Amino acid sequence: MNDNTGMSPLESAFHASAERHERFWIFGVLVMLVLLTIGTMFYVVHDYGLVTSTHSYATDPQAPPREAAFQDGKVVRTGPNAYAVYMVGRAWHWSPDVIHVPEGAEITFYVTSADVLHGFEIQGTPVNLTAVPGVVGTVKYTFHHTGLFRIICNEYCGMFHHAMVARIIVDPAGTP
Amino acid sequence: MSIEIAADTIPSAFPQTESERVAASTRRLMLAFLITGFCALLVGATIGPLQALNYGGVDAYPALRPLLQSYYQGLTIHGVMNGYVFTFFVTCGLLVYLPARELGVTPNLTMWRACFAIMAVGALCVLYAMGDNSSSVLWTFYPPLKGSPFFYIGITLLALGSTMPLSILLQMRATWRRHRPGEITPLVTYMSLTTMLMWGLAGVGVVAELVLQLDPWSLGLISTVDPIINRTLFWLTGHPIVYFWLMPAYVSWYGLLSRQVGGKLVSDPMARITFALLMIFSLPVGTHHQFSDPGFSSIWRGILVVLTMSVATPSLVTAFTIGLSLEYAGRLRGGQGWFGWFRALPWSDPSVAGQILAAITFILGGATGIVNGSWQLNAIVHNTTFIPGHFHVTVGSVTAMTFMAITFWMVPHLTGRQLISRRLALFSVWVWFVGMTIFAIGMTWAGLYGVPRRAWVSALPHGTYHALYGAASVPLALVAIGGVLLWVASYSFFAVFFGTLLFGRRAAPPPIPFAQSFGGPASSTIDSPPNPARSASPLIRALDHIWLLTGVTALATIAAYIPILWPFLHHVTRAPGWILW
Repeated sequence: MNDNTGMSPLESAFHASAERHERFWIFGVLVMLVLLTIGTMFYVVHDYGLVTSTHSYATDPQAPPREAAFQDGKVVRTGPNAYAVYMVGRAWHWSPDVIHVPEGAEITFYVTSADVLHGFEIQGTPVNLTAVPGVVGTVKYTFHHTGLFRIICNEYCGMFHHAMVARIIVDPAGTP
Repeated sequence: MSIEIAADTIPSAFPQTESERVAASTRRLMLAFLITGFCALLVGATIGPLQALNYGGVDAYPALRPLLQSYYQGLTIHGVMNGYVFTFFVTCGLLVYLPARELGVTPNLTMWRACFAIMAVGALCVLYAMGDNSSSVLWTFYPPLKGSPFFYIGITLLALGSTMPLSILLQMRATWRRHRPGEITPLVTYMSLTTMLMWGLAGVGVVAELVLQLDPWSLGLISTVDPIINRTLFWLTGHPIVYFWLMPAYVSWYGLLSRQVGGKLVSDPMARITFALLMIFSLPVGTHHQFSDPGFSSIWRGILVVLTMSVATPSLVTAFTIGLSLEYAGRLRGGQGWFGWFRALPWSDPSVAGQILAAITFILGGATGIVNGSWQLNAIVHNTTFIPGHFHVTVGSVTAMTFMAITFWMVPHLTGRQLISRRLALFSVWVWFVGMTIFAIGMTWAGLYGVPRRAWVSALPHGTYHALYGAASVPLALVAIGGVLLWVASYSFFAVFFGTLLFGRRAAPPPIPFAQSFGGPASSTIDSPPNPARSASPLIRALDHIWLLTGVTALATIAAYIPILWPFLHHVTRAPGWILW
């Protein structure tokens, strides 16, 4: 082979063996990455609710928080076992800051921000949505355990960012 | 253009000839880049452990007023000084100096000085804006948080200055090729050039964000900005910057390390393929930092996952090629059996130890990176301490430790002064390795408990801190311990670095340890014997068409970003600025 010009016998032997192993390694790497990709894609398609998506845009960032649903801050029943929750992030609190939802119901969160970026993270779940001024983002989640969950702001929003915490209380199914 | 004949003469206060004078200026300028970069690291690394202690529940900031007003001001300085100023200065020095010496060609010193000056003015502006707490917006400076004009203009200057080595490299390569028609670009130059081409393309995002939006906004020329468009433009640059941090370290691993351990680089083609792939794949994937954002479609998120996974390929190829080059050297040194070759490496050389330990930390860095890039797993770790845990074992170890390791031969090389203490140098890289590993394990582990990144958790009332993060007390304690070890490591390193500069004993300067590859020439300088390209494979010759690679990368990037930016451009938000610290 051309590549071998100017090599000592030790180098040539090492090189030949290296080339074999190199091909094997690269094959292994590609197989591993393909499997990882398929794995993560399967999960997303299988458990589609955790895809964050856009509900609406607004030119004025103050417009969405002024909508009735966001102003009321109520948990709205949208189906037999489905609820919608409207959340606004403001420096440095979430509104509403205490939410009751039933166990086992599909909850759709509509999240926006009235000032800067905030991060809507429900601790202990994969719910993780950036609250962007002028955009209403949405994500669906079903709580399978009762108890207290915390919404923690995970996008830096100023001096009291660390204190921007709200609560979700998941009540046993069937409680009104 | 004058041609410098590479000669490692003892630096003299009174250079005799023109070429010696030019060589001396080149060395002095390289030293200026190195010292400025490491001064930035000194500031950033001094503040770093305060952040680590914060997660351990220890709030040191009240004691630091009026020097630092808050954790967020400290964190902004830490991120900007380490992530931008330190890495930009060292890289813009190395990626000109090493190719210049490999090619035996004098770099355009005027351009290189301008690069230094522009970045230095930028760094001073940014330091001023962060120092008076007018711009505690963190290193990502997401609008509509609004810092001072000095901050944004400073970052603009840093970004523009950092792309200037590209033209210097292109000039040097053109000179070299005129004298050696038909030959393949030598390896270190090739790697440096692909890095700078990648960065030149990548810089478009953040420069557009700054010049079109944030600079005029902070100056009061426009009153509103669009948060999500700016965030997208930031990550267009913000992901490739990861490779702008890593690739210079790879330049040292591929281009120098095999010689430093006493062997050869086993595969020159693999190094070139790695750099070409890094260039192509690093650019279109920036929006994987926005998996949690509303905005772009699920189809695009899926495509990004595939592209992001592809970025792992060149790094895993690097693991193989560097590992094998180390094995070759270890066997030449008499290492036997499965692991004997690893023990036989020259561990007493702090420059070697630093780079190998850096490479080991990248196992954790790469693996956690794959987690971040996996859409579904990203939802669990996004913006938790998992993320800084990940990048402290990439830029905080691979880049920082490799740059530290480079200084151990480069400062003696540039100044003709011996390291004041080889033992202290070894101690510093080992403690950095242990400290950073403990820190990163703590951070990634705590992230799984939902501990948010960039949060001044130690300022919370004690009861709240425990209610929220008590479950993560063990990993958070590891974070604090790792941080304290890193303090010890960084000050040991700076004692060696500044001690050598000031007090090192005069000695003959060591040459640059350029590695020879299997079957490759011993030297690639402009006046070395001809090295006909016919021995290079067609693939290598194809990869030498750097403009073709650049074009492919640019097209892929445009194709990836048009569908993402399209809906944003049709729904522009006019958000006013907020100063909230």
